[in-house]
Amino acid sequence: MATDLDNSSTGSGEASVSSSGNQMQTAPPKSTPKKKRNLPGMPDPDAEVIALSPKTLLATNRFICEICNKGFQRDQNLQLHRRGHNLPWKLRQRSSKEVKKRVYVCPEASCVHHDPSRALGDLTGIKKHFCRKHGEKKWKCDKCSKKYAVQSDWKAHSKICGTREYKCDCGTLFSRRDSFITHRAFCDALAEESAKNQNNQTPQSQAPAQNQTAGKLNSEPEPKSKPKVQTKNSSSSPPPPQPQQPPPPPQQPPQSMEAAPPSSTSVRSGPSQSTGVLSSSTLPIQTPAELPENPPRILEETPAEPGLNGSSSSITSSSSNGSTSSSVFASLFASSTASANLQPPQPPAFTDLIRAMGRPDHPADLAPSSSIEPISLGLSNNHGSSIFGTAGQERRQYAPPPQPAMSATALLQKAAQMGAAATNASLLRGLGIMSSTSPSAQQENLQWPQRQVEPDSGSVAAGLGLGLPCDGGSGLKELMMGTPSIFGPKQTTLDFLGLGMAAGGSPSGGLSALITSIGGGLDVAAAAASFGGGEFSGKDIGRSS
Amino acid sequence: MWVLNNVASSVGDPNQRLTSWFLRALISRASKVCPTAMNSLNGNGVVRRRLMSVTELAGYVDLIPWHRFGYCASNSAIFKAVQGFQKVHVLDFSITHCMQWPTLIDALAKRPEGPPSLRITVPSFRPQVPPLLNVSCEEVGLRLGYFSKFREVPFEFNVIGNSSSETITSTSEDSYKFQFELLLSQLNPCSLNLQDDEALVVNFQNWLRYLPDERIGGDATSRKDAYNINSLRDSFLNMISGLNPRIVVVVDEDSDLNATSLTSRMATCFNYLWIPFDALETFMPKDSCQRLEYESDIGHKIENIIGFEGLQRIERLDSGATVSQRIRNAGFFSIPFCEETVKEVKGLLDEHASGWGMKREEDMLVLTWKGHNSVFATAWVANNNNNIGLDLED
Repeated sequence: MATDLDNSSTGSGEASVSSSGNQMQTAPPKSTPKKKRNLPGMPDPDAEVIALSPKTLLATNRFICEICNKGFQRDQNLQLHRRGHNLPWKLRQRSSKEVKKRVYVCPEASCVHHDPSRALGDLTGIKKHFCRKHGEKKWKCDKCSKKYAVQSDWKAHSKICGTREYKCDCGTLFSRRDSFITHRAFCDALAEESAKNQNNQTPQSQAPAQNQTAGKLNSEPEPKSKPKVQTKNSSSSPPPPQPQQPPPPPQQPPQSMEAAPPSSTSVRSGPSQSTGVLSSSTLPIQTPAELPENPPRILEETPAEPGLNGSSSSITSSSSNGSTSSSVFASLFASSTASANLQPPQPPAFTDLIRAMGRPDHPADLAPSSSIEPISLGLSNNHGSSIFGTAGQERRQYAPPPQPAMSATALLQKAAQMGAAATNASLLRGLGIMSSTSPSAQQENLQWPQRQVEPDSGSVAAGLGLGLPCDGGSGLKELMMGTPSIFGPKQTTLDFLGLGMAAGGSPSGGLSALITSIGGGLDVAAAAASFGGGEFSGKDIGRSS
Repeated sequence: MWVLNNVASSVGDPNQRLTSWFLRALISRASKVCPTAMNSLNGNGVVRRRLMSVTELAGYVDLIPWHRFGYCASNSAIFKAVQGFQKVHVLDFSITHCMQWPTLIDALAKRPEGPPSLRITVPSFRPQVPPLLNVSCEEVGLRLGYFSKFREVPFEFNVIGNSSSETITSTSEDSYKFQFELLLSQLNPCSLNLQDDEALVVNFQNWLRYLPDERIGGDATSRKDAYNINSLRDSFLNMISGLNPRIVVVVDEDSDLNATSLTSRMATCFNYLWIPFDALETFMPKDSCQRLEYESDIGHKIENIIGFEGLQRIERLDSGATVSQRIRNAGFFSIPFCEETVKEVKGLLDEHASGWGMKREEDMLVLTWKGHNSVFATAWVANNNNNIGLDLED
């Protein structure tokens, strides 16, 4: 655009000045209208407009000695060099031009800075601009895939890239602390967790809001603040606060309910529809955080221990939080064993847990697959989720018995050690609660006493029975059948593990039955049930510890 | 305009995009003068009002340091000013829905002597300009509360003003002004429930420009009277001064868009808003959704500046110098930012694209992009403030 400069420096059309003989193009005389100085976007109108060719801008050695043609990056360096040539005094002086403020335009015609009224005031600036906008990106960060045309940009980025990373509960990564803090403050994950904590006043020691956030915050200073599953009692950082909070819960149960029967697959986001996956049933046990990531993991039958730890921690955390699925699960355990140090107000949590399981679209909320593992030990199908889902709702109604004093972790470990039976009872109870909706289950409950369930188991069964009626899954039935047999009179619960152990040689068998039943997949459950039932009968007799 | 239409493109380079928004604004303006068939750009809410969730907004303010610059400087100054106080009360007038406060809460939580108890009060009325949120301000306060509890900072959140006024859009000119007057009437120690032992902090973030500035009667010069009722904007400032705040921080955009002539406004506006467009260009791809949204919000602003007149034109920005003068007239004197603050801000800018810089103009900190002024931040105390020892220089 043609603008009129009001002073003569550029209006006279004098050639632009360059400090060396480099080729350059002269900007045609342009002028800018009279404007106040320092108006944003308008450079000083008194300044001299200099247009340099792309070659000049990109050249690294702009300053060339006229005597030997050696190139230098800086003018001062060139001058120093020239001294060495022993020039006569006359030639030694630079041509004296008073120093005028110079602004530079970009040679690229389509660029906004091509216009003198939009010139940039700094030579380095225009060079960088040219490289960035119109140049080739020669510098690439090796950690991420970002490319840069200017070396200093690249350096600045490499300093930052991956050096400090903050991770929010919801999984988003930040490289800057202030963005992390701001996000964290408003993150849904925190909100849900806090709301849940407020509603579930847990007698546990941890501060309600601390569980997940504490885990996160503590890890902030670390390069990776990813919450780690800890087995300590109070805040194992279950990852994204389980979504089940009072507000969401009302909506969730229906979903989980729906999810359970139809999908009968892992509660986790539905993708893991693998029928044979016990892990689904383990979902409730899992700590929410990891669930979303590893549906496949559920399928694997991992060794009990790690899973135990995971789940126990999750359970613990959940119980301490009094929120989310883990707590639900914890309550499961708690109810069954005196040792479990779970908190009473589990039903909501359990429900939540169930819900989490049942809700595919909240992967974050689902327990990590790690916790699934222990369950998956025994349970091989992922139908559990459905059952849990439904059960979850029921769970609400059910008031778990007073919690044992042991922490969930301890319980799990103990269960693992005990290898059997006893713990299952509590699990069953939990299951029972969940499945309260299944009518068939109810029948099963009746059958339970027949099933040689010890008195405790009976109570468990009763508990389960409560749940059973609600559940429409035959699987639950199976579960009931399976579990009593597996679970001995023992009250220790880290049931799932115990369950797995109890099953002994073929944890998968028994558990699968259990799981299938839990999953509520009718077919699978039925099959599993029969399978499990058979197994159980054989096994459970042996378990009497 | 036909020429412009050919040039403008919403997916081109920054200039083109900016032009396209201007074109829309002009069309909207023209369509008001002589109604045309361009009903897509109707008279009132031309640009689609896009609602964000809080988490989206948290990301939005961090796209470019446009807002974050002001937050950082202000929070740092506030932090210094409330040292030694056990109770802090923040009166927050801003358009970014309390995005500023998590970092302050975080800083307060880490105070060696323990965090003070924090109270944040926001007005229920807010000009209907982007960024718009899909939740109420009470919900925002609730989340801040969760966060504070998490950081173990005693926290309280209040909303003053008529809570139903939120739903009133600014289309009704009278109601717009009325809302501010209503707000003004609530700026007294009683309604705000001010207490003597708490440090009152007043935060104006992109706010003053929305206060109607028409001077009713009298001369145009504002006098240094305590209750100059000539303009709502001045009254507001006077009222704030009367509350005896510990510190008042003012952050706004440094550009004079209050001129009466359309052409001069257009030119200034174009040159100024080119800055964020260009900044976004440097690090976001052309078709990035976030970028388009950000640009559309700026487009909304353009539309108001260019397309509207009279009371409907609510974006009446003054340059930093003008605002400073006005605040001075209302009985405040400015305090400089300390070196620590400057360092923090510089560190912040370093983490962004390298075109961002900062400079000091008197007691103002100004954010610059490629050398052009964009956002300014200032801190003030009232003349009648007998807070001795308020020294931001550490």
